[in-house]
Amino acid sequence: MKNPATILPSAQYKRKATIFSVLSIIVIGCCWFVEFNPFGFFSEFHFVQDLLSEMFPPNFEIIWDDNSMAMSILQTLSMAFLGTFYGGFVAIILSFLSATPTMPIVWIRNLTKFMLSLIRVIPSLVIILIFVIAVGPGAFAGVLTLVITTIGTFGKLFTETIDNTENPAGEAIFSVGSNRVQMIKYSIVPQILPSFISNLLYAFDINMRAAIGLGIFGGGGIGYKLHMAMRVLHYKDATALIALIIVLVTIVEKISNTLRKRII
Amino acid sequence: MKQFSIKRYYPIIVGLIVFAALSWGAAISCQIEWTGLFEGIGKGMFFLKNLFPPDWEAFPEMLQPALDSLILAFLGTFFGTLMAVVFAVLGAANIAHPIVRTISRFLIGLERSLPELFILLFLIAAFGLGSMPGIICLSLGCIGMLGKLLADAIEEIDSVLIQSLTAVGANKLQIIVFGIFPEILPKLLAYSLFRLEINIRLSVILGAVGAGGIGYELDYAFSMLQYHRAFSALLVVLVLIFGIEKLSAYLRNMLNIKANLK
Repeated sequence: MKNPATILPSAQYKRKATIFSVLSIIVIGCCWFVEFNPFGFFSEFHFVQDLLSEMFPPNFEIIWDDNSMAMSILQTLSMAFLGTFYGGFVAIILSFLSATPTMPIVWIRNLTKFMLSLIRVIPSLVIILIFVIAVGPGAFAGVLTLVITTIGTFGKLFTETIDNTENPAGEAIFSVGSNRVQMIKYSIVPQILPSFISNLLYAFDINMRAAIGLGIFGGGGIGYKLHMAMRVLHYKDATALIALIIVLVTIVEKISNTLRKRII
Repeated sequence: MKQFSIKRYYPIIVGLIVFAALSWGAAISCQIEWTGLFEGIGKGMFFLKNLFPPDWEAFPEMLQPALDSLILAFLGTFFGTLMAVVFAVLGAANIAHPIVRTISRFLIGLERSLPELFILLFLIAAFGLGSMPGIICLSLGCIGMLGKLLADAIEEIDSVLIQSLTAVGANKLQIIVFGIFPEILPKLLAYSLFRLEINIRLSVILGAVGAGGIGYELDYAFSMLQYHRAFSALLVVLVLIFGIEKLSAYLRNMLNIKANLK
């Protein structure tokens, strides 16, 4: 007679089967709820084919013919730079105010932490809608949005970096009679500087993409150009602009990666 | 005696001047007028004052779109993770043929360099408005990030594992199912939970462009100048994002504890 343990499904197998069936029920229920058919992408692929036939061949002449093209590339790059520059500046200040080793007063720490998490939660869509109302559509509204989002994301990251610095060095400096400012200057800044610089380069990389995306909501730059081309159904121009964007983003990413590798 | 030498500070001074010049030039190309900002602050404050109080009666109407957005993000993450696993396996040097790897890595990089919003615009141009282009867009968006992270995770797997599986006669599929999949599962779950956080934010933004859900409600209320209604939508969005963030952090913590126990 066979041992029942070898015939019956094992506990591990049962657990796997339960997880799998629950997950598939949830997914199917969700698909049914929003009336989404995952295979619809393949069965209705001819729509994509139609679009692709309209998109190709790309009309690269628009890049050379349009005089404002160089300006909008420059504008997108400047938006990313300014967003990173000012946003990073404020993020660094706020991170010093909200990290434990640099800020001894508890309520200031909690207040800045709360502010940072509030900024982080507000979606960039809302921020740009508000800034477009405040300063009008254009690159300036985009820059201000990027500043705010950079503060939110990197403020928290920088705070964690400062919190994770090694304390013994600071304690040693304290023990020979320095004050807090000297401790920050000689113990914390040398520890965090490489990480801050590499994170700011990464922020520039992210902000570059975000700057392109913000163009849709009135942020100006190359994203706005692409949005306009799609709106008036000039898909051949849009393909050329997309190729341009991919090249631009890839170059910025490569530069930022190389610089980061050098620093670390 | 203190010795002060200006020469020590030359690199810092030069760096500051370069940065000041760069930001000045960038400010010109963006047509930044700081006076405009100060006037704008007044306008913005007036606008923010108009938001209060939220339209309490609109909340029941917000529940359906909020659920839509949530499901959009969940399904996008789910299908995106499945696709990302395929791309990651094809993009890992220790499994895939070098040519396949190059192609897969190229596609992953291509997706990463394209903002999700424009993928959505193209999908809307192809499929029309609705949740379908939104879900497809979010899934495609996962390929870039998760695909790269997972492909790197697979490449970090100890080669002894794969060699020993090959030695007992496993084929490629068996290596993937029994060797690689259990190995990357904790990382896979952690990354896709992290991506879920990103996707819930994205689904709000994509909703405004035409994927429906709470983002559409928000954008519509803003453009109809129904600020109280917009504020209630904004509150729902904040609760949604904050809730998902906490849930994801909690689940990831649990995963970490489990992984450490093993």
